[in-house]
Amino acid sequence: MELRRYIFRRLIQIIIIFFVILTVLFLLFRLAPGDPVSRMIDPDMTPEDAEVLISQLGLDQPLWTQYVYYVKNFFTGNFGDSFHYGQPVVRIIGNRLPNTILLFTSSIILSALVGIFLGKIASWHKGKKTDTWMTIGALVTHTVFLPWLALIMIWVFAYKLDWFPITGMISEEVWLDPDVGLLAKFLDVLHHMVLPLGTLFLIHFGSYLLIMRSSMLETLKEDYIITARAKGLEEDVIRDHHAAPNAALPVVTSVGLSLAFSINGGALTETVFTWPGIGRELVFSVSHNDYPLAQASFLLIAIVVLLSNLVVDVLYAYLDPRIRY
Amino acid sequence: MVNSAETDKKISKRFRWIDPFLEGWSIFKESILGRIGLTLLIIFALMALFSFIPPHIDPMYHPMTGVDPAVSHSTGPSMRHWLGTDFMGRDLLSQLLAGARVAFMVGVSAAFMSIFLGTAIGMIAGYSGRGIDTLLMRLADMIMVMPTLLVILILSSLFGQLNIWTIVLIIALFRWPGVSRVIRAQTLSLKQRPFIEAARVAGASHLRIIFRHIMPNVLPLSFLYMTFRVTSAIIIEAALAFLGFGDPGTVSWGMMLQWVWKTGHMFSAPYWLLPPGICISLITLSFYMLGRAMDEVLDPRLRKEEGAG
Repeated sequence: MELRRYIFRRLIQIIIIFFVILTVLFLLFRLAPGDPVSRMIDPDMTPEDAEVLISQLGLDQPLWTQYVYYVKNFFTGNFGDSFHYGQPVVRIIGNRLPNTILLFTSSIILSALVGIFLGKIASWHKGKKTDTWMTIGALVTHTVFLPWLALIMIWVFAYKLDWFPITGMISEEVWLDPDVGLLAKFLDVLHHMVLPLGTLFLIHFGSYLLIMRSSMLETLKEDYIITARAKGLEEDVIRDHHAAPNAALPVVTSVGLSLAFSINGGALTETVFTWPGIGRELVFSVSHNDYPLAQASFLLIAIVVLLSNLVVDVLYAYLDPRIRY
Repeated sequence: MVNSAETDKKISKRFRWIDPFLEGWSIFKESILGRIGLTLLIIFALMALFSFIPPHIDPMYHPMTGVDPAVSHSTGPSMRHWLGTDFMGRDLLSQLLAGARVAFMVGVSAAFMSIFLGTAIGMIAGYSGRGIDTLLMRLADMIMVMPTLLVILILSSLFGQLNIWTIVLIIALFRWPGVSRVIRAQTLSLKQRPFIEAARVAGASHLRIIFRHIMPNVLPLSFLYMTFRVTSAIIIEAALAFLGFGDPGTVSWGMMLQWVWKTGHMFSAPYWLLPPGICISLITLSFYMLGRAMDEVLDPRLRKEEGAG
């Protein structure tokens, strides 16, 4: 019950924050130099079509009415048409969203799990060679410049060794072939996903490892660990069942705190690997002066960030019975 | 270690802001991470200093405008160009040196601004409490969840090409919340201490209490965060330049990577692809190590724990 009320309160907060972001973006759009109409309406459009879109978006109205239109259009999913694709923006980003969520969530979950596991081992061998090398490895991979790592991955594994495709998410010959089953399609996507996922994993697991390691060292000093030892429990049991679950909580917190960082990294990875996600669409639309698409991608990313923050907080409350809101 | 009698005497004499830094330095020297980080940073600082030299030797070594007339495409390392040239015949070594200058410029100025903002806002929020505190911290929460790189992207789609100082300013405006939270927590606990009470009873104004009594106690913490902010500012600028939205008038390492990537040289010119990426990664690593070493200075619990790592 309590948890449900907490989620409800957080949802209200998220809605308020989102409204602020929406409003600030609207004000910036009006403040920016240049003509707002030409920013939203494709110059290649026929005058009749442009007329319709202008009145739909409320660009011929006074400022206040425009804001009302803007908010209403947001909730009805009318963001105008993309200049580049010539399609309604909402259809494009709707197609991209699952791809981003697939890459983003799998990379975070994978790197958190591996980080927790390796951090546990590192803390267990504290001061020994294993620990030193793991810590150094984590520091180095965590601070490597992400787009550069992505280029190196492509260069080594896709170009030199030719193990994986260089770019994209699917191979057309597999997807257009009617005889190919679902499993083959799934494997094809997985094949394309290894390098982007590997890049994001390498960048992220290090910080989780370091947090898990120091949190483990703190936890091992707790009284209940001494009690567990006094009871004569196996060291493995103490490590895996008594210390690790508690020590993993700060990792969950840090996943939440680094979400913005992960989203940045996701956009960079998508761009380098031409993974058809929202982050790449944002970068692409900005460099092609496709403002309607850029605006919608940005707002959608903001929603993704806000909601994943909520998910992490709820997960934390669920994992830690001491926390009740 | 400074013994406690000596410390007491120091405090009773007069609190000097430099003392905690001197004491910290003696601990810092012991840390291997800190020494490696500092050494690397000195090397990068020297690179930044040397970046002024190549254009004076010959105009063709100018990182942006200098073109070697004898070269028409990207060439590998040679005596004439130690790291090779890019597709226009510009010298890669002088670009790499200029990149070090830009990285320091961006990193230090953005970090300094965001630390300044974060410390001021954190102290004000913690000290005033109630309404102002809630307002400032909600604002901090909101800014904290925004991915800075993507915010700058959408801003540059609205306002066109941003110059380097605008980028620095935006980074600073979006990177203060982390600092301000820590400073606020520290201020809250300081506020309860007897010496603040004493100052208030003695008739000190709010501003005097904040700047004279609270600030010296939170500044070391701010400086710790500064190293981490330098890192994130450098990464954001580099990523922005890499995506093609950097200041076209500067040669940063991100810019070099953008050129090698966009001109399709990444498979054929490892001498061009490797150095800028290694530099960005190493400068990030060294500021990060410096930060962790300073963390040990400020948090005594960590000191004994860290072995060689």
